[in-house]
Amino acid sequence: MTDDFVVEVRGVTKTYAGHTAVRDLDLMVPRGSVYGLLGPNGAGKTTTIRMIMDIIAPDVGSIRLLGKDRSGRDLSHRIGYLPEERGIYRKMKVLDLLVFLARIKGVDSSAAKAGATEWLEKLGLGDWVDKKVDDLSKGMQQKVQFISTMLHEPELVILDEPFAGLDPVNTQVMKDVLVELSRAGTTTLFSTHILEQAEKLCDSVCIIARGSKVLDGTVAEVKRGHSGRHVVVAVERGFESVRALLNDPKLVAKSDNYGQYAELELAEGADPQLLLRGLVNAGAAITRFEIAEPTLNKVFIDLVGAEAATAVAEEDLVSA
Amino acid sequence: MLKTWVVVKREFLSRVRTKWFVVSTVLGPILMAALIFLPILMATSGGRERSVAVVDVSSSDFGSRVAEMIAGPGTISAVRLGVDVTDLESAGDSLAEVVGLKRLDGFLIVSDETLQDGRAEYRGSNVSTQMDMEVLRRRLREAVLTERLDRMGVDPALVEQARIPIEMRTVNIRGGETTEESGEAMFWLAYLMWFILYMAILLYGVQVMGAVVEEKTTRVVEVLVSSLRPFQLLAGKVIGVGAVGLFQLALWAAAGRLLLTRRELVTVFGVDQAVVQGLSLPDIPIATIVVMLTYFVLGYFLYAALFAAVAATSSSEAEARQAQAPVTILFMIPAILSLMSMISEPDGTLFVTLTMVPLSSPIAMPGRWVVSDVPITQLLASVALLIVALVAVTWLAGRIYRVGILMYGKRPGLGELMRWVKAG
Repeated sequence: MTDDFVVEVRGVTKTYAGHTAVRDLDLMVPRGSVYGLLGPNGAGKTTTIRMIMDIIAPDVGSIRLLGKDRSGRDLSHRIGYLPEERGIYRKMKVLDLLVFLARIKGVDSSAAKAGATEWLEKLGLGDWVDKKVDDLSKGMQQKVQFISTMLHEPELVILDEPFAGLDPVNTQVMKDVLVELSRAGTTTLFSTHILEQAEKLCDSVCIIARGSKVLDGTVAEVKRGHSGRHVVVAVERGFESVRALLNDPKLVAKSDNYGQYAELELAEGADPQLLLRGLVNAGAAITRFEIAEPTLNKVFIDLVGAEAATAVAEEDLVSA
Repeated sequence: MLKTWVVVKREFLSRVRTKWFVVSTVLGPILMAALIFLPILMATSGGRERSVAVVDVSSSDFGSRVAEMIAGPGTISAVRLGVDVTDLESAGDSLAEVVGLKRLDGFLIVSDETLQDGRAEYRGSNVSTQMDMEVLRRRLREAVLTERLDRMGVDPALVEQARIPIEMRTVNIRGGETTEESGEAMFWLAYLMWFILYMAILLYGVQVMGAVVEEKTTRVVEVLVSSLRPFQLLAGKVIGVGAVGLFQLALWAAAGRLLLTRRELVTVFGVDQAVVQGLSLPDIPIATIVVMLTYFVLGYFLYAALFAAVAATSSSEAEARQAQAPVTILFMIPAILSLMSMISEPDGTLFVTLTMVPLSSPIAMPGRWVVSDVPITQLLASVALLIVALVAVTWLAGRIYRVGILMYGKRPGLGELMRWVKAG
């Protein structure tokens, strides 16, 4: 339809043996963005990514990649994919393995060899080119697999939980590479349940829980939807004088009273200024009034917190 | 197509480079030669010498003739012991003790009855050795015959002439033409082909299974199917392993050819030069090689697809080993039936049927092609049936494979498998 989106998922549903892993999902990844697919364990992230890669087929709905109706496999030379379950041939030599993985994407042999050597040097594995994968440490093996997703200079990189199981040093390496790719114009779609990373790296996110989309948009949009609605209030001599005001359901949807201060979530459409005026009029001595910028983490927990626990129990069903 | 080729190449190279391949390629012909020559070796050297006593309770000196005949050419020594009928029991007991001391292998009791109605008795420690008993029986029969003729007053020279053994050469007629092939040699060739096909299909089929399970347990498979269609991956695997098999067979064939043309090399196994030279193995015509290769390739594909499907439903090597039993049995039963019916009745209905049924034809037809004259229409029908079955099995296996390689956990039941086949 348009070239503005490199991944277009429309109305996709996938059911396994009676359990719905993904329900009526829409997902649009803008070209050149760093896009985070967020959700608790078992939310349907891996299933969604596998469907985007055409490893499994959706029951309902359509998926377009790079503006084409062809599957991720036909376009695999333009896409880099890192599955959640890491795995490489242990008995192969590092270089042979990388060349093989590039060749099955349709990259020719000499280009693959040159690219692999360059990447290995870049990530400090230059001395390991002719070693067997088995001889490498876990971290090195992860790097090798990471190289295999980048080697053919893809336009779109899809990473399923790229930071899982990485030590801080390798996490940093991974982040640096992602930022560099993004600067070079590569679109990145990655899934994670670690929100701090998503907040630092992503332009846009999609939050899913129990197979359904909860919210999506740019990180700013997502936060804006929740900003101005979180207010931190502290008053002298306790909250007795303003209790009625804080319990007014037209103003406050939820309040957490920590004693020294209270964290409030305003009701839909309520104006924080109205609350402030109300507090002043009630004669409270206000020591703190702050309209807080929510972290992605806060948004995430607000949206899926209650469901997260139950979703974990269903994870087995999704992969079984 | 190109992607499949890349998989084939990797599979082939990574296998040919292993120690296993080198060892099995070298040991294969040695084992096979041992299998062929060991029986010959045992038959000719015959193991240790047998010693037999002939207990003669006849009223004449008949026992001496028997002893003389039994001791004849070969490795049996025989002595006559004249015993009175009344002493037979005690003589038997003491001789049994001698047998127990391993000084004697056994003793043959001959009497007047032996000459009259052919009854004799042998007691010994080697009664279950078929070859010994065969020799004893044959020589006793000859002794009785000679003695009877002698008593009837037939000229000994005439008897001698009558005893000249018959040697019948067997020559095969194929397609209305007399060939140079001897019947025995063709049987051995058919047996050898059965053996090679049996080993090769099973061995390489199981290797495909191992390869699929390995990709699944190491989780490489998901990376692969993001670039390859599962069917391309499966095809690449099966063709790659099959190519290793063909390569190994070719190496063995070359080695076998060398052994045949330079038979003196075989003497390293300690086989008598004369025996080796006398061993007539036929020249294998091109048509036979083509038939064998065709059936090897088709049969291997058929079973490799089944093994791959089994592997795809398993999450570990151990699980796959258990799950392969039905496929292995599906292969072994027709294979063994084929061998048995080929030996007993190569033109019988059972064997002919087995050469037509796809599950058994890969292993049965090449043998039948060698031992008898197969109508070309039957050959073509058998190949056509096999190809139809191959397409069907590959389709089925491919569907199970496609779903199975991404499934972990409990092995699916039959109902679940049906759902996999129907899916998408």
